[in-house]
Amino acid sequence: MATLEDSFLADLDELSDNEAEMDENDGDVGNEEEDVDMDMADLETLNYDDLDIVSKLQKSQRYIDIMQKVEEALAKDSDGAEKGTVLEDDPEYKLIVDCNQLSVDIENEIAIVHNFIRDKYKLKFQELESLVHHPIDYARVVKKIGNETDITLVDLGDLLPSAIIMGISVTSLTTKGSPLPEDVLQKVLGACDRALDLDSARKKVLDFVESKMGSIAPNLSAIVGSAVAAKLVGTAGGVSALAKMPACNVQVLGHKRKNLAGFSSTSQSRVGYLEQTEILQSTPPGLRARASRLVAAKSTLAARVDATRGDMAGINGRALREEIRKKIEKWQEPPPARQPKPLPVPDSEPKKRRGGRRLRKMKERYAVTDMRKMANRMRFGTPEESSLGAGLGEGYGMLGQAGSNRLRVSSVPSKLKLNAKVAKKLKERQYTGGATTSGLTSSLAFTPVQGIELCNPQQALGLGSGTQSTYFSESGTFSKLKKI
Amino acid sequence: MSSLLLKTLTKKEEIDRIIRDTIDEVLVLRFGRCTDTVCLQHDDILAKSVTDVSKFAKVALVDVDSEDVQVYVKYFDITWFPSTVFFFNAHHMKLDSGTADHTKWVGAFHIKQDFIDVVEVIYRGAMKGKMIVQCPVPPERIPKYNLLYKDV
Repeated sequence: MATLEDSFLADLDELSDNEAEMDENDGDVGNEEEDVDMDMADLETLNYDDLDIVSKLQKSQRYIDIMQKVEEALAKDSDGAEKGTVLEDDPEYKLIVDCNQLSVDIENEIAIVHNFIRDKYKLKFQELESLVHHPIDYARVVKKIGNETDITLVDLGDLLPSAIIMGISVTSLTTKGSPLPEDVLQKVLGACDRALDLDSARKKVLDFVESKMGSIAPNLSAIVGSAVAAKLVGTAGGVSALAKMPACNVQVLGHKRKNLAGFSSTSQSRVGYLEQTEILQSTPPGLRARASRLVAAKSTLAARVDATRGDMAGINGRALREEIRKKIEKWQEPPPARQPKPLPVPDSEPKKRRGGRRLRKMKERYAVTDMRKMANRMRFGTPEESSLGAGLGEGYGMLGQAGSNRLRVSSVPSKLKLNAKVAKKLKERQYTGGATTSGLTSSLAFTPVQGIELCNPQQALGLGSGTQSTYFSESGTFSKLKKI
Repeated sequence: MSSLLLKTLTKKEEIDRIIRDTIDEVLVLRFGRCTDTVCLQHDDILAKSVTDVSKFAKVALVDVDSEDVQVYVKYFDITWFPSTVFFFNAHHMKLDSGTADHTKWVGAFHIKQDFIDVVEVIYRGAMKGKMIVQCPVPPERIPKYNLLYKDV
């Protein structure tokens, strides 16, 4: 029992010891492991209390090493580039590559610190985060304001444009925040300092890289500028890696993917770091896409020259830059003025006959109908029927012949337009045709007054008595008069 | 100034040469004085249309005041200025405009399009082989005049 109790006690002690250790560690300057599980780090950031858990970079060994080297190199300012060695073996080149990586890391770190500051400062001044977007500016502003309740006392003139200062003063009057407790304030100020330190370190690193880029890749930096060249080389992972890329890839190096799922990416311009080059900044927006393709192509060529260290003086690069500049200028010149065109020689161009649906429909009205086609053909050996019988009148050809493989000739509604006289005659004939008259028509009419009346149906239809002819009519007029 | 664009001919040889040298193009010769107001109006129209018809016509001005040219003035019986005579491949083209005189166009054109139409019609007729063509200008825009023959 004693041992059990003891063991339990011991267990309890262990637990408490563990807690104590963990507390110590939390409070301690957490260093070494940069590769803490990212999941753990995320969870911790939710309820951290101290900056140093979040922002470990500054204390990391790698960071310290590289910064040291950079400082040395800056102080030394050597430019003894050994032309004999392969680019990759040059120790300075390695440093450049490392610096590129580091600058990316520093950027991420600054973002983390910015989040930290923002979360802590939200209690004091929530809207500041939406007014001042840039992390470094935010840090500076927070540092200057501190715990001050009256923003008008704080002079922000050199940090921000006046429009934003005005916005800040106005929102500060209506903010729901309350001044921070002392320890939180200290932490926040510490974080601000950290952010500014990181920023200055980054600047140092970038300056160093830029200055050295001229000796690492002179042609590339002649075209796009050393800052962008450094970024490109850094992202690509080396000058030769950049040289191996096709130009279309170089164009999108550094492109920030902003399209959320479902949004089209055709409206975005696919330009990466190249967008920050001086060339592209100075072209009008309409020509940016073309220009970016051009610059990407030429800078790839320059990178290839640099990878093989063929031209260390940068002559090629400058020539390419000049070419780019000329091309962009040419695109921008106005089109040549219109000259008045003389008239063409009459009748030299033959009239173009137009076709199309409209013409076809027009032609259909005068086309030969199927019935006519049948009437035009004849059967061999049998005499054809004709309208007046016995070979006189119009021949009927294949119409109505026994043995033609159609039971009846389909009457397509004719598109012929008959004039009034012919139409009347046709109607009359149709009416008296006999075979086509409906069997239900009757000539008897039932009138209310006179009972059954026998009337002439043709008269009712307006066809007259059928035997009337306009030629001999008594009421008719002379059809043709000639003046003598 | 129209005379800057259009050639002014003063000598008989020049006229001969230009008639001979204009091949497959209508040659428009204006007989007149450059100081006359109607002539100026006519010249203005000619000058404006010379580029438009340049592919199938050539325009030249003949100053009627020089002595060399009087031969032609008499030959074509030109009494009213400006008068325009049309040639095609050294043939004199006649124009039936409803007036009495078909050999030339008397007076100024009212609008540029009229002149271009006349030149086109002459070209078409000449390419077909006709010696006289119908004037396409509507009668309102044809300058009217009375033709006196020996003061009759």
